[in-house]
Amino acid sequence: MVNSDGQLFTIEGISAGLIMLLTAYIVVNTTSIYTPGDTHISDMQLEQLGSDALRLMNTPNTSATSAESSLQKIIINNDTAQFSNTFLWFCNSTTSGTNDNLQFTADLYYRDKNTNSVNKIHLTQTRNLIGGEHPVRVTEWVHLNSNGQVPVNNREQAVLVEVLLWRD
Amino acid sequence: MARLNDDAQWIVLMGFIVSFALFFLAIVVNQSTVVGQTTAEGVIEFPKNDIIDVRNEILFSSGIVNPTNLTDVKNDISSIGLARKMAIISFNATPAPPGSSYKNVILIHYNNGVTAYNETANY
Repeated sequence: MVNSDGQLFTIEGISAGLIMLLTAYIVVNTTSIYTPGDTHISDMQLEQLGSDALRLMNTPNTSATSAESSLQKIIINNDTAQFSNTFLWFCNSTTSGTNDNLQFTADLYYRDKNTNSVNKIHLTQTRNLIGGEHPVRVTEWVHLNSNGQVPVNNREQAVLVEVLLWRD
Repeated sequence: MARLNDDAQWIVLMGFIVSFALFFLAIVVNQSTVVGQTTAEGVIEFPKNDIIDVRNEILFSSGIVNPTNLTDVKNDISSIGLARKMAIISFNATPAPPGSSYKNVILIHYNNGVTAYNETANY
């Protein structure tokens, strides 16, 4: 019973079925539009960039035990302009062409020894968060020695610098 | 089409096969977006930078000689870690055994609910 009659009937039948299935598939799929921006790939890259920038800032430029990193100096001197300049320099630099346009807002979290509560000091920002941004959060632990204007209790302590970073 | 003209059936058949092949290749390209998402979310969810960062701070803090300061810094790390990083972080440093070239043996515990990291570090 095997012969080559009716090939076009078969082909038409199969293609008609596939077209119907495909149409249903496309119609159902259009209820959500999925773009590469939804995939968090740029978030991942931004988070790594911010972490690296903060780690660079928290690395002393000599190996002497008393050496302080620029981030430690910034916190001790409350030099928020320096923080802004250095951080943006690390984040926005490109090898050629115009600089990137990243914005941030930075806070410092410390523990008050007397009340044992975690409190916040606002460091600086380049722009206010108004809700439309899609920031990532990067943090860096900073060790402060007692020989300076430490945020509170004037003791040796560990504080956390927290930066919300977004591309404008 | 059928019965009107039955010529060139093989050409039409091959045309369909090629079209279907292109259709399935298009699906493969379409899926690449989702593959990128899984990878990126996996990277974001795993707290690599957090662990490296807190580990550095712990290793540095383990060298504190004054016991009051050491307790303070321990409490700083666990309190701020819990409040801001949603992670349970603790460490304990004991002097290295005699003859060791290291100063301390440090037990590090980190757990943020998804990733647990425990280390016995010589520093």
